Amino acid sequence: MTHQLTGAEAAALAEAAVPGSVAKTTETACYLKPEHLVATFEALKTSPDADLVHLTNTCGVDFWDHLEVVYHIQSFVKNHIALYKVEVWDREKPEVPSVVPVYHGAWMQENETYDLYGIRFTGHPNLYRILLWEGYPGWPLRKDFLSMPGGLQPGLGEFAGVARRQEPPMKVLE
Amino acid sequence: MTDVIKSEPFILNIGPQHPSTHGVFRIKATVDGEKVLDAEMVMGYLHRSMEKLAEERTYTQNIPFTDRTDYLSSMSNNLGYVLAVEKLAEIAVPARGDAIRVIMAELQRLASHCMAVGAFANDTGAWQTPVMWCFREREKILDIFEVTSGARLTCNYMRIGGVAFDLRPQFEPMVRKILQEFPPFIEQMEELLSGNEIFISRTRGVGVLSPEMATNASLSGPMLRGSGIAWDLRKADPYCGYEQYDFDIPIGYQGDSFDRFIVRLEEMRQSLKIIQQALDGLPSGPHSTQVPLALRPPKGEAYARIESPRGELGYYLVSDEGPSPYRFHIRPPSFINLSALREMTVGGTLADAIVVLGSIDIVVGEIDR
Amino acid sequence: MAATFLASDNWYDLRDLANLSDAILEGADKILPFGVVYVLAALIGFVASFLIFVLPSQLYVGVYGERKIIGRMQSRYGPNRVGPFGLLQPVADALKLLTKEALTPTRSDRVVMYIAPILFVAPAVLLFAVIPFGPRMVFADVPVSLLYFMAITSLPVISMFMAGWSANNKYSLFGAMRVVAMAISYEVPLVTALLAAVIITSNPVSNGLSLQGMVLWADEFKIWVAFVSPLAFVIYFICVSAELNRTPTDIAEAESEIVAGYLTEYSGMKWGLFYGMDIGYALAASAFAATVFLGGWSMFGLDKFIPPWLLLVVKTHLFYMLFIWTRGTLPRLRIDQLMAFAWKFMLPVALANLLLVATERMLWVDAFDSKQAMLYVFMIVNIAAAVGIVYVWARFLGYDPDSQPTKARLVKEAGGYVPVGREVR
Repeated sequence: MTHQLTGAEAAALAEAAVPGSVAKTTETACYLKPEHLVATFEALKTSPDADLVHLTNTCGVDFWDHLEVVYHIQSFVKNHIALYKVEVWDREKPEVPSVVPVYHGAWMQENETYDLYGIRFTGHPNLYRILLWEGYPGWPLRKDFLSMPGGLQPGLGEFAGVARRQEPPMKVLE
Repeated sequence: MTDVIKSEPFILNIGPQHPSTHGVFRIKATVDGEKVLDAEMVMGYLHRSMEKLAEERTYTQNIPFTDRTDYLSSMSNNLGYVLAVEKLAEIAVPARGDAIRVIMAELQRLASHCMAVGAFANDTGAWQTPVMWCFREREKILDIFEVTSGARLTCNYMRIGGVAFDLRPQFEPMVRKILQEFPPFIEQMEELLSGNEIFISRTRGVGVLSPEMATNASLSGPMLRGSGIAWDLRKADPYCGYEQYDFDIPIGYQGDSFDRFIVRLEEMRQSLKIIQQALDGLPSGPHSTQVPLALRPPKGEAYARIESPRGELGYYLVSDEGPSPYRFHIRPPSFINLSALREMTVGGTLADAIVVLGSIDIVVGEIDR
Repeated sequence: MAATFLASDNWYDLRDLANLSDAILEGADKILPFGVVYVLAALIGFVASFLIFVLPSQLYVGVYGERKIIGRMQSRYGPNRVGPFGLLQPVADALKLLTKEALTPTRSDRVVMYIAPILFVAPAVLLFAVIPFGPRMVFADVPVSLLYFMAITSLPVISMFMAGWSANNKYSLFGAMRVVAMAISYEVPLVTALLAAVIITSNPVSNGLSLQGMVLWADEFKIWVAFVSPLAFVIYFICVSAELNRTPTDIAEAESEIVAGYLTEYSGMKWGLFYGMDIGYALAASAFAATVFLGGWSMFGLDKFIPPWLLLVVKTHLFYMLFIWTRGTLPRLRIDQLMAFAWKFMLPVALANLLLVATERMLWVDAFDSKQAMLYVFMIVNIAAAVGIVYVWARFLGYDPDSQPTKARLVKEAGGYVPVGREVR
């Protein structure tokens, strides 16, 4: 059974690799500081304790006020998987350092995240909209992306008689 | 008159309409004669934004979407999604449900590998004979799916907490027949292709991936195992009770296209072994637990992954206690497996690029989602 | 030579169709002005060889038969909807092609694109002029008919290149370039292999370059060239399938790589001409192989009872089955492998075979009484030598089938990289 590292364990590994790289820790995830991201991953990949060699999954999540980039990284030999996250608070011009120099597998996934969330990955060798076309208006997976004309909000607001998420700040992108 | 014959590179668009791109996928290849100098992937022709659509529907309503991502292995996709929801909502599945899931997932692996092996042989130029044989065998598995779930391709069979229906009485004889008929077929394919001098010379040493490169490029499934890395989520991170079954992980030698091919063939044998054991020890009892229709998992996130025929298929779900997932992310194996395509094709010939693409076994519905 | 043949001279005796044409020509000579009869003879030759033999063979062996046989190989039925057993399928296909619009891309070279299929068809008609269908049934008994045949078969390459170049499509260009490269490479071992057959069959009466002479040689000694020199036969088959773009060497129209090669932009009957005449060339090559290597119309004396032209047709179609068989079985080679195979493997082997056959021929001329017996000895020696030469040369080039594993390794536990030989089971 793959050992799912808790947030504290993941944070300990990251702290051991690059001191001062952890921003905060939750039960399951460890939030890294963007400025230390690449160096931390580089160290985690090479350190025999962590041995996090395989970047399994990268995606973005939109939490209305901020964006998150999620990294699931695993080790084959030690058979554990860690969850690291990076928070981006600037919704206008979100930027996260690219981890492509460390994990080549992030190449496609960062392109996809850029395409759907508009998060720019600085240092990515070839960042382009991989699924949609260049010039597509807006970033579709953001919560404030209006997919339908008439200002309809995404989400099941009327479902089962329960009000859904908090009222989003209305905004039409680009 | 100069002494040097100069040649000029030009861009060749392989696809989106091309016999070997397995759908609408495009490689912008810069070629110098037959030699590929650069390869850029262009995709998104089939993009339906399922991740956005899924945020608008309840957890149960999302299951049919997962059918339509990787349409060649819908059972596996269903399974990955429902596992993620079960992990999020902490729902236990009865033993019979787990065993049925295992049988279905392994049958799906057989069907999908049939397709992969046949299409790969077609890409090397074996004019349709292997692919037709594979279709013949795959048809029998699709018949089983039809009997069980009512659909052949997009089964929509798994449910949160179990499976949709219990097995029909015809099911067991049909699967026993498959268990009888498949080993000779795999041997036939080995005779036709893995022992074939032309096939070997076309695929050996083509698209070589070192284990370091395969790991670094986040590959999974037969791509990773072809490079000699023993990594199979059924062994490493067992789900649905895979730990009770006895099977081996087939791995390749040097990570070329031929290795990926023989790994797939051997995986079919191992799948048969698992089906045999699961069928013999099929527990009785309910096939599913009762789950509220409007499922509201507690706040949190879950990342569940399974070993789909193409590799690690992960579903990352974020819940905000709403009736629909707050974030629904698919980790598509064939999309990420493509990240090593450029490294494998550049420097080879055009024909090699096609073989490499075939050995990745892409499904465009999954790449573009 | 015709004395051994049981057929009578009556025009209605269809065992020798030459009787019929002779009767027609004699009758025509009486009423028509001088010289027209030669045109008439040419017409008869065209009708007999092309319209009666090639066209139906194209439709029913090349199209219907191929689809049916490959269908059975692929465990499906093949055409079975149009007419009984799908027999009208080729006709329906042809009608469909005729009614289909032949598109020409805007930026193509229209004239060249138009001419190319015509130039492709014309040589195919000429080829059958020299194929002997019977003792007297050869339209043009040219003393150097083998050379004539080789010369004509190299013509379609030009029209293929024209087709590929004019379409202004990169895939077409790829196909055209591959066609030319392959035709040049494979012509060399092909001719070298044929030279062996020529050396065996040449005699003071007819030089070995006459196809009719080769058949008569086989008839006289009751042995086929394919038995005396099996290696030449095999090399001929491989080379000719490369030149005709048949799988496993169909890289010029490799479907999975370059869509349809030089045919990518063709549609309608323009494409149909290429497709049909591809089969026509394959039939011509089969008839040629049947004539040179398989004894032509002779069949160990059986040709006295069965019409000889029927024997040739059967042999031609059986040889054509080889093309169908390989097409349904084998994957395709890459172009550099194909080139290397021609130059590094086939040419040396063909030269070795030539040396062997020439030596034997020298010994054979000196033997007066035991010519027949010596041929059987040569047959055994050459079959053994063929196996030996191929094996030794393949080993020399580094071919070692047993050193490569063809089954995946198995490990029990998941983990990291498992080096070769370190599997723990």
